[in-house]
Amino acid sequence: MIDRIPSGFHPFVIPFLLGMAFVLGYCAFGLFRIIKQLSWKERRKLAVSLITPETVVKNIRDIFCDCLFHVKLWKRNKLLGYMHSSIAFGWFMLIVLGHLEVILFVPKRINLFYYPIFFNYFVAEDEITLRGSLLFFLMDFFLLVVLSGIVLAMIKRVSSRLFGMRRTARPSFLNLVGLYALWAIFPLRLLAESFTAHISGGSFLTIPANWVFRQFLGNELNMLPTWWAYSIALGVFMCVLPFTRYMHIPAEMLLIPMRNAGLKMVDARKGFTRVQVLSCPNCGVCVDACPMSANRANLKDCTVYLTRQVRRGNERRIEQISDKCLMCGKCKEVCQVGVDGAQLRLMQRARRQYGFSPDFSNLPQSQIISSSSQKNEKVLYFGGCMTQLTPAIGKSVESILRKSGVDYEWMDREGGICCGRPLYTAGRTREAEQLVQKNQEIIKNSGAKVLLVSCPICYKMFLEHYDLNDIRVVHYVPFMLDFIASGKIQLIQSEVSYVFHDPCELGRGCGMYDEPRQLLKRVAQIREAEKNREMSVCCGGSLGSLSLDFAQREKITRASLDNLCGSGADAIATACPLCKTTFSRYSDRPVRDLAEIVDELIIDN
Amino acid sequence: MKQNVVIIGGGIAGMEAANQLQLLGYNPIIVEQESALGGHVAQWHKLFPDMSVARDVVGRMSKSIASTNVFLDTRVVSVKSSRSHYTLSLSNGVDVTTRVVLIATGFGLFDARKKEEYGYGVYDRVITNGDLEQWMNGCADSRIPESPRSLGFVHCVGSRDLKAGNNQCSKVCCMTAVKQAIEMKELFPDSELYCFYMDLRLFGKKYEDFYINAQRDFGVHFVRGRVSEVGEDIDGRLCVKAEDTLLGKPLKIHLDLLVLMAGMVCHPQTSKVAEMLRLDVGNDGFFKSRDNLANIQESNQDGVFYAGACTGAKTIPETLAEARAVALRIHSYFNNL
Repeated sequence: MIDRIPSGFHPFVIPFLLGMAFVLGYCAFGLFRIIKQLSWKERRKLAVSLITPETVVKNIRDIFCDCLFHVKLWKRNKLLGYMHSSIAFGWFMLIVLGHLEVILFVPKRINLFYYPIFFNYFVAEDEITLRGSLLFFLMDFFLLVVLSGIVLAMIKRVSSRLFGMRRTARPSFLNLVGLYALWAIFPLRLLAESFTAHISGGSFLTIPANWVFRQFLGNELNMLPTWWAYSIALGVFMCVLPFTRYMHIPAEMLLIPMRNAGLKMVDARKGFTRVQVLSCPNCGVCVDACPMSANRANLKDCTVYLTRQVRRGNERRIEQISDKCLMCGKCKEVCQVGVDGAQLRLMQRARRQYGFSPDFSNLPQSQIISSSSQKNEKVLYFGGCMTQLTPAIGKSVESILRKSGVDYEWMDREGGICCGRPLYTAGRTREAEQLVQKNQEIIKNSGAKVLLVSCPICYKMFLEHYDLNDIRVVHYVPFMLDFIASGKIQLIQSEVSYVFHDPCELGRGCGMYDEPRQLLKRVAQIREAEKNREMSVCCGGSLGSLSLDFAQREKITRASLDNLCGSGADAIATACPLCKTTFSRYSDRPVRDLAEIVDELIIDN
Repeated sequence: MKQNVVIIGGGIAGMEAANQLQLLGYNPIIVEQESALGGHVAQWHKLFPDMSVARDVVGRMSKSIASTNVFLDTRVVSVKSSRSHYTLSLSNGVDVTTRVVLIATGFGLFDARKKEEYGYGVYDRVITNGDLEQWMNGCADSRIPESPRSLGFVHCVGSRDLKAGNNQCSKVCCMTAVKQAIEMKELFPDSELYCFYMDLRLFGKKYEDFYINAQRDFGVHFVRGRVSEVGEDIDGRLCVKAEDTLLGKPLKIHLDLLVLMAGMVCHPQTSKVAEMLRLDVGNDGFFKSRDNLANIQESNQDGVFYAGACTGAKTIPETLAEARAVALRIHSYFNNL
């Protein structure tokens, strides 16, 4: 391999250089701004994680798995996984191999930034070596890989249904410019390398192409224009990159170390939140996943549109989208990048200024009189507001406690204080905090060792926002499993088959998927819905939404019911009073809480 | 030969229409799915505003149609329609051919278990208006205590309730609650009575008199506000939480019995009948009339008519008036054929 151009420069590299300079400058400035927005504590956390070997290894692994191989996407959808990883990894390999070629064949040019990219223009093949042909083969191979990804991307653009996506996000104008520039890069590269293949050498793709072109063109006049076009496509792509979804490429590389450092979103716009927003690749997977999109409604209120509007600064839409969400957390579950849509909205809601803010400081103080017999550990049962509205559940839990001989007290039998979660999800953190304080006092003074909860909404609140010292917070499902394991209650088997609906707050919210199924299996037959566990569809009753009206909720509930009833089960089981109430409205089959099912099947001694 | 008119439903609407059609010289055939005529009214004890005994009213009506063909315990299985005739296959194996079908299927009582927060089917001391009437008719009901000290009536259970899926007012429950409150006070003079209402819609003749009597002579407490939740004490008494919106204060009362004024919803068989005869159903679940002003008894199908609560909640006088009107409407339909 020899240098063909003595100066090692040609003006056609200028568009690429300009684009590269712009995007690097932009990213450097953005990085500086984001680091500045972080608090001193966060910066320290990040710095420490970047010098801790374990997190460094994790960062590298995550960047490779998420950004290049798209492992999460592969697991969900093979075709989409191949499409993304072929482009990302193929392009990455082209860059790496390009550098390798420069190092091996023209090492003195390694300091030239553009050389690996336009290598084939600047060199001429002087002899054929085995080493070179292997590299040429790999270059052509990865170019083919990328091109196959681009072809898939084009097909997907025409018909996303073929890729299992019913709906995708509509790209904005600049996104389209970026998209077409990206599509143009690799065919142009193929053309450019083909036109020079008789000089610089090539492999199974470029040499035959070169031969074909020469048969009917017979000159080299096309060589330079295609290299120009290739460089311009690269330049255009990089110039629009910061303003398009392709910003997720650099942003994700910052998101991963920040997340691994344990940073949390604390502001509605700045710092880590900004990185999350920029990391959204606009793939639109969340459009199909969002339960609000049932019957083609609310299509522009899912997370992909939230991040877009945040980037545009459209305050009116940001507020609308933030208020509408059911906070079911499914978009985060399906997101390849891990953008936390619900948390983004929560931060936004917390920004709002209210003209009136209720004061809960005059609520009654401790009500529970400590009457614990010292022998047993006392259980304090907190039903919560929703259990008050579904008395069958509260009654069943109480009955099970009685039958298993537990020393318990029903904290809010005659009314109590809300756990605070509704206020918290509405963004009224300060008011929620007042309720948390009140309840904390009551619980701590009760002398109980265990706080038993039957509502997953309260459960999540108690786990995440309460400081109860050594008092164990437990949902009744694992608690009852313990009763069964220790023989405190014996059960008979029912003939009814149930499909279990994973409540958002219990499943995605608290990660409890297996225990309810174990419990249900002990007493009845269990069927699974098509979308279950992490993919469970919100019942539509969620108190997370501040603006969805009743008619819209009905559609969501019916869609969720369709998913459950598709299993062919006789009845629906759940472990959340709100899901139960919501489903009961429209369900054609019985909807029951696990506590009710279990209580009915206990053998009385 | 007399023309057949098949009447689906043997409640008061069907019976009254049959009587009138018979007088006009037709041959009405009543198809009733229950084992007795009279529908909901036959289950009731006394009827406002004259406190007539429901059994007597229904008895008089069935006597007047003693010679009419009545199929009890029978349902319509399928319908074949030709250009001018309907052939109805009944579950007892009989096929009837007719030019005119009268739908008098009436309403269904809202299933109060759907409002779980009121505790029907969960607590021992919660009953519905229908349960109370049956108890007054002499059916034993263990849920009703020997001598209740305090009783509550919850209006609009499953009526005017978006969440229950019924937006419409059931018309009769306000007055039923007032009537039942007075009856209970007469039975248990020492008890305290509470009516929890959203609005009191006392529109009919003498309804207002009842309301004034209930307050002045019987001391019934009318609380404007909805019951939010019902709990149970350790000793089984009910603990009702509501809001008194006139005082602007939350309220907590202990009661021995709570009566839920379950509203009128469409009859559970409505959609099946509508499917067989290709009739339109409104978004409230009731049959859809051609219009709701002058053609309430007309359906979208030629020769199919409506009477009574199958098109929406109605009082007894309204139902009877409609039944008589539809008989004349059918008469003119035959004359114009």
